[in-house]
Amino acid sequence: MKTNNLLGLFFILIAVLPELLLAQAVEKNTLILGVKYFNDNNISQHLVIEAKSKIDGKFQKIDNIPVKVFITNDSNKNNLIAAGMTSERGELLVLIPPSAKGEWLKSNKQNFVALSAETKLYDEARAELAVTKAKIKIDTLDGKMVKASVMALLDTVWTPMAGVELVLAVKRLGGNLNINETLTYTTDTSGSMIGEFKRDSLPGDQKGNLVLIANVIDNDTYGNLSSETTAPWGTKLTYATNYNHRSLFARRGHSPFWLEFLAYGIILAVWAVIVYLIFQIREIKKLGAV
Amino acid sequence: MDKLTESKIIEDLFPQKFGKIGQIWVLSLLLLCALGAFAYGRQLYYGLEVTAMRDYVSWGIYISNFVFFVAISLVGSLITAVLRLTNVKWSTPLTRIAEIIAVSAITFASLIIIVDMGRPERFYNLFLHGRLQSPIIWDVIVITTYFFISLLLLYFPLLPDLKILIGFKERNGKWLQKLYVFLGSFWNNSLAQFKITDKAINILAIAIIPVAFSIHTVTSWLFATTYRPGWDSTNFGAYFISGAFLVGAGGVVVAMYIFRIHYKLEKYITNDHFDRMGKVLVMLALLYLYFNVNEFLVPAFKMKKSEEEHLLGLFTGEFAPIFWFAIFTAMFIPIFILLFKKGRRPLPAFIAGVLVVVGSWFKRFLIVTPTLLHPFLPMHDVPASYHHYIPTWEEWAIAIGSLAGALLVITFFARIFPIIPIHETILETESNENK
Repeated sequence: MKTNNLLGLFFILIAVLPELLLAQAVEKNTLILGVKYFNDNNISQHLVIEAKSKIDGKFQKIDNIPVKVFITNDSNKNNLIAAGMTSERGELLVLIPPSAKGEWLKSNKQNFVALSAETKLYDEARAELAVTKAKIKIDTLDGKMVKASVMALLDTVWTPMAGVELVLAVKRLGGNLNINETLTYTTDTSGSMIGEFKRDSLPGDQKGNLVLIANVIDNDTYGNLSSETTAPWGTKLTYATNYNHRSLFARRGHSPFWLEFLAYGIILAVWAVIVYLIFQIREIKKLGAV
Repeated sequence: MDKLTESKIIEDLFPQKFGKIGQIWVLSLLLLCALGAFAYGRQLYYGLEVTAMRDYVSWGIYISNFVFFVAISLVGSLITAVLRLTNVKWSTPLTRIAEIIAVSAITFASLIIIVDMGRPERFYNLFLHGRLQSPIIWDVIVITTYFFISLLLLYFPLLPDLKILIGFKERNGKWLQKLYVFLGSFWNNSLAQFKITDKAINILAIAIIPVAFSIHTVTSWLFATTYRPGWDSTNFGAYFISGAFLVGAGGVVVAMYIFRIHYKLEKYITNDHFDRMGKVLVMLALLYLYFNVNEFLVPAFKMKKSEEEHLLGLFTGEFAPIFWFAIFTAMFIPIFILLFKKGRRPLPAFIAGVLVVVGSWFKRFLIVTPTLLHPFLPMHDVPASYHHYIPTWEEWAIAIGSLAGALLVITFFARIFPIIPIHETILETESNENK
């Protein structure tokens, strides 16, 4: 009996040992989730969930991580506002849906929770973000001055906030170009600041309009805020196209004059000869009739 | 040798009814045309899907055939115009053969383009919406022009012969007599008429040379203005024209032999004609060989990466058997045969002519298709069939049908009109006797 027990133990060990060894062999990496909040032009709000991990001593974005995002907290299943996989850039974009309006209006502050489930390579992870609802107002003043103010929702009142760092820029070629050499501004006690627009001769649209933007970037309290306005401070864009120009690569009816002159000249000359010869046949006929 | 009297010449050169062989020949050609028409019907019904042409090879044997037809049509300008303007007298019996080859070839060149378009009802768009900057529109214009000039060049010298033909009312039969009367009843052999005709022929002979050069140069530019391996060449215009003269002259030699044997024209198409045409063929084959060396040796010496696959495909790869077959049959073997006097006798010259024509057809295929199979960007994620081009039976039937159609035009022309100018032959014979 004792021998049988030992044999049984031995077989159990043989059966379980590979699993144990394998489990030790696959060392899971630590996954770090990050939640970023964006308020775009005071109209729409969205979140970006970032998944990263330290691999070979470097932080790298991790794709294909299943993530669930909750508003306020994750204790109530009804607070789930999104579930998805991180993209190749290790990000999941979450638009705050209208169904979350009830939770959103409950407070002037808002919590978000992101959870990732355990995968073969990563343990589960959790991240939380608490933001105070805030907005930026951007306006233009005489003399090419740009004024921006930051207001936060305190209780139920939008209150100007001092000491908030922000960037004033003009949209240019898919990026943002600071309106002058100053990289960042800080709001004063009235919650606002003024910067001078010094980017002359920037190409605008057909009316010379430029898009100005005020940005609060990665603020611990307010998240990312942005607001845009337009000002006719750029040079007017004259729409230039060679569509109607005459060239060898242009469309039909727009060949270069020299080509038309040459081609039609040759065609006319040769066909004039042909027509002349056809008339000669008529002449021969006339002579035959005589 | 019997003395050639006027009546004897007329008797010998008068269009003859088809004999048994002639009937079999016509029937065979009609059957091939019918098969081609059936295949074309299938293409119209099912679309270009019935062909092997796909995304990469969009120009297959239809365009090869087109280039071949355009090439062979150039012989009209060579024999009629170039030799006439250089005062070469021996070419007189060959002028009409050359001209009818030119007219029939250019007619079928136009038709095969319509076949290649897939939607014939859209052909008029070439005229309505063509871009003057495009070599395609230049080709349309110049082919049309060349067709009419060739037709006139065929018609003017025919006028005196029509007068002779009209004189044999009973022999002609009702329909032919009507046709002859319609075309030439007004001809009365007056000096004034001859004066106008001679002037017209001279004008046409001058006009047809630049038009003929244009037609094939423009055809070469369809390829050379496109930046692709094998086509990106400044040599293409001259390369095409030299090749065209070669295949045209080869075609004339073949036609000369067949007409001579079938209509017993030994007194008119003599051994001397084969000897001289043999020499012309050697010269043209050497010229074409020279351009081929330029066309292949120079890029092969540099072996640019983009050209490498294309060139190796021709020299040692997938297309090597056809490439070397074309080089040897179109150039090396005919040169070897025709360099010797015995090789310039009718039968060996005929064989050399056939080799030139067959080799030249495959040469046109090699100009068109291999390039399309070697684009600059590698072919990825395409069906295996896209990597090769093996024409379907429909394509072969249409291509062969068009070749048969061109031969049929020549055959019917020879049945209706004298294939050797009667009046000119009489004049030359009299002139030789008076010397």
